Amino acid sequence: MISFSGLYWFFYWHCRSLIKWILRRSTQLCELQRICYDKPAGNPRSSAVEYSLRHSKSPDIGSMLNELDDAATKKTIFGRLHKVLLERSVRTVLRVKKINPNSHVAFVKNYSRCIEHIWGYRQLYHIVEELRLSQFDSSVEEHERKLTRLWTGLCPKVPLEARITKQWQDIGFQGDDPKTDFRGMGLLGLDNLVFFAEEYTGAARHVWSHSLHPQHGYAFAIVGINLTHLAYSLLKDGSAKTHIYNACKTMPSLRAFHQFYCYLFYEFDRFWIESKPADVMQFTFIKDQFEKNIRDLLANPSTVFKINFVVEDV
Amino acid sequence: MGLLSILRRLKSSPDKELRILLLGLDNAGKTTLLKKLASEDINHVTPTQGFNIKTVQSEGFKLNVWDIGGQKKIRPYWKNYFENTDVLIYVVDSADRKRLEETSFELTELLMEDKLRDVPLLVLANKQDLLHSAPASEIAQSMGLHLIKDRPWQIQPCSAAAGQGVKEGMEWVASVVGKKK
Repeated sequence: MISFSGLYWFFYWHCRSLIKWILRRSTQLCELQRICYDKPAGNPRSSAVEYSLRHSKSPDIGSMLNELDDAATKKTIFGRLHKVLLERSVRTVLRVKKINPNSHVAFVKNYSRCIEHIWGYRQLYHIVEELRLSQFDSSVEEHERKLTRLWTGLCPKVPLEARITKQWQDIGFQGDDPKTDFRGMGLLGLDNLVFFAEEYTGAARHVWSHSLHPQHGYAFAIVGINLTHLAYSLLKDGSAKTHIYNACKTMPSLRAFHQFYCYLFYEFDRFWIESKPADVMQFTFIKDQFEKNIRDLLANPSTVFKINFVVEDV
Repeated sequence: MGLLSILRRLKSSPDKELRILLLGLDNAGKTTLLKKLASEDINHVTPTQGFNIKTVQSEGFKLNVWDIGGQKKIRPYWKNYFENTDVLIYVVDSADRKRLEETSFELTELLMEDKLRDVPLLVLANKQDLLHSAPASEIAQSMGLHLIKDRPWQIQPCSAAAGQGVKEGMEWVASVVGKKK
């Protein structure tokens, strides 16, 4: 049986060119211009530009996309190259769509921002993936320092007695040495935790203190690493675009990902407490429910997760 | 899938469900094994807080695999999952020689549990792909497996990550369950 939406898409695909042509004639604007003028800035505009570019039949736009994709994969959209690529992409679109930049100054500005969103996000994924694939290595001083920073961020008053100690279990690692707990999340898991503990110290300690509850507690670091997996999955499958496009004024940076993670951790903790779990064995159910809620929110194009941590004095 | 076809061949009755319990210390490789059994990607494994369960189903054959976190704080909850277990798979990190004693101790405790009485035991000497891993014979020796007389047991060297030895282990599971029922 063919559903209504199936029929809609069938006609949409076959009539898309015709509709675009009629609109172009009647409004004197190309699809990209209509999007950049009509859609609100952030996710609605950037996602629509992305869709339009990806479905363009122009070979010039095709090679522009390849060039940008390639740069994002190589993680080179920074500094001078960032500027060069952006200018080139603007010039390509102006030429292909025959747009006069002098009479469409706002288009150039809005369109540029969308390009930064779209390929900044792609690049962010590759940066995050590289971190995830980097395994924690005890012989690397920097990695070891990060562990210490995490500890100090959470409990500055208690010194670590040794590198390998039961104390790690107090902040929710499984054993006496955290190094085996990062697993598939690699350094990304540690970096996320360190960022939370250092940038939002009050919120991180607040969440950590909840995790110590004798009945409703959980393993802080392990749950943190599981939430790194959630943040990473949402980034990878594109669901996080809604939030990232709405939250970032310019190129989404690694910082934006860390902040997204902090938001998830803080909200998860709240959701966990509200769920009144009988014990820690409820984790998978509650995490799945939490993930569903987050995905539902991200399905709304205007969603932006605002960091608004309320921290009681401990 | 090879594994399922073997199980299907050996199963004695249609619509049979098997409850398989995966236990072992943290970082032994239980979740990786679970994902391997379900033909899932193993590159994103995280430490198990609580437990994972997966059902692998094919033509009336149902494998319910319970993967319980191995962290010390979670071990007291293991007993909540003993009931109706058909086979216990105990996973050992063969490269973690420092904790061989700890893992032997946990297994000994498990074998004394009433609810696990007569339940066949498969010990997986996991992570054989790692350079410094102990051979299965050494693990069997130091865990004193030869002293087990009250149930069928088997030790199988494997690498869940590389997918080696898992099939052989599951063949044993299927054969021992086939005999029992």
